[in-house]
Amino acid sequence: MKVLYELSGIKHRYNGRLVLDIPRLVIEEGDIVGLIGPNGSGKSTLLRILAFLEAPSEGTLHFKGMPVGSEGEPPRRDATLLLQDSFLLKRSVFDNVIYGLKIRKEKSLRKKAFEALKMVGLPPEEFAHRPWYALSGGEAQRVALAARLVLRPKVLLLDEPTANVDEASAILIKEAVLRAVKEWKTTVVVATHDLLWLYEVAKSVLNLYQGRIAAQGTSNLISGPWRPLNDGLWERALPDGQGILAVSPPSETATAILDPSDIVIATSPPAKVSAQNILSGRVTQMLLDNSGERVAVAISLGGVSLRSTITPKAVKELSIQPGQRVWVLFKATALRWL
Amino acid sequence: MDYILEGLINGIVLLVSGDEETYSAISTTLKVSTMSIIASLIIGIPIGFVLGYFDFPGKRTLRTISDTLLAIPTVVVGLLVYAFISRRGPLGSLGLLFTLPGIAVGQTILALPIVVSLTAGAVEGLDRQLKLTLLTLGARGRQLAISSLWEGRYAVLLAAATAYGRVISEVGASMMLGGNIKWYTRTMTTAISLETAKGEFDMGIALGLVLMLLAFAVNAALSAFKKRAAQ
Repeated sequence: MKVLYELSGIKHRYNGRLVLDIPRLVIEEGDIVGLIGPNGSGKSTLLRILAFLEAPSEGTLHFKGMPVGSEGEPPRRDATLLLQDSFLLKRSVFDNVIYGLKIRKEKSLRKKAFEALKMVGLPPEEFAHRPWYALSGGEAQRVALAARLVLRPKVLLLDEPTANVDEASAILIKEAVLRAVKEWKTTVVVATHDLLWLYEVAKSVLNLYQGRIAAQGTSNLISGPWRPLNDGLWERALPDGQGILAVSPPSETATAILDPSDIVIATSPPAKVSAQNILSGRVTQMLLDNSGERVAVAISLGGVSLRSTITPKAVKELSIQPGQRVWVLFKATALRWL
Repeated sequence: MDYILEGLINGIVLLVSGDEETYSAISTTLKVSTMSIIASLIIGIPIGFVLGYFDFPGKRTLRTISDTLLAIPTVVVGLLVYAFISRRGPLGSLGLLFTLPGIAVGQTILALPIVVSLTAGAVEGLDRQLKLTLLTLGARGRQLAISSLWEGRYAVLLAAATAYGRVISEVGASMMLGGNIKWYTRTMTTAISLETAKGEFDMGIALGLVLMLLAFAVNAALSAFKKRAAQ
């Protein structure tokens, strides 16, 4: 696949504070990249840089092999960003959807706008002439998405597209995005906290933490406080009285990454295992990923959620289901420090 | 008390019967206020947009001057313009004194700070997300500016309605620059002022009613624009 974005040595600062630090990142054409991480981890900043709305303080950004920002206008019309708050122009739904087409002096506006509205599940005859203020949050977000999809963008950047919408809208947004990728080979980068939604959409996931890419994939982040025990072990107490054990954190407030594939699930309390973390929890969610080869299992340990990935075959053999009590096992050394 | 009631009845009769002198003052007011509001919008909207949209040295000072001029007394404007357009003044050769365009110049100066300040405030108050949205939909250069102004259109209309309210109700500049010439430069406010001084309440009340109606229409427009601007 062709390389679309290439970021090298990107650093971005706001008022001198480093908010993004990405030594290298390559995004290929047609890819669907998910960005996850806590608030303030740099997801939105990275999206704005990819949308060419902000130039990075340091480093180089190549788009389709060409350096961006050195001379001329950035290729802003190739990438479009759906903002977190579905901001609509003070016009009708139809005029909102055709805005981008109009300024590009394109034709067949009505046909294209109606197609885009259908794509996001809004019947055009019912919605096209509605004013901007007569829409629910989910409908407004879908109109905003239609205004981007109508452009058949090379790159579609989505910032928390499902944050303020109901479940039905989230499904419609997912379907529209996947259709854009299939039909127009659109490259999608999506920042979200909705991991289950993301798991169904993304081909790859980047875990951002304090402006850095902490891990690839939907890794678990476990933050402190850590308290020292005997034998060089440290413990992060869980609300239900259990504790996660780790080895030599760099500080009491350090954050650790735990790869979902390092977590083993058992349906009965195991005896004689070398792993030092044997914790009891309840399955809260199960989801087949985009490739169909892995199942993400979310397990709640007294309020703290961990994600494990196992094969569909393992799910069948263990016959686990949401609500079931299970035991999770992982080594104290499986926790890597950020 | 009777003469007030009688004045009210006679005033309504003047309006209903289509009294020429009364309607001349109404038509003069509408003509001159239309001229001045159009001129103040043509000059004021671009200035207000620049003041609200761009950052440049001296911007704050210009905003302060514009905000201060909001309260300029109408007679001071009358005096200044009079000095400029009287026969001895630098613009005396234009022959504007005691003409409708002469009054319009004064009223434009009265309306201008309102249009400039309220437009600048409206543009400044546009959502931060708007610029990002327009950019990400592909707008650039002039498209960005025009679309931003269009988004603030209800607030700009609010500015226009406020300025119109000031223009139709002022009397000082119209009196000094128009000379209150019957059938020619006599506006509703100058006519009311004169008729009241003469002790003739009929026409004063008739014109007062029309002014009140206009003020009501302007106010209704203001609240409609305010509602739309907030949505």
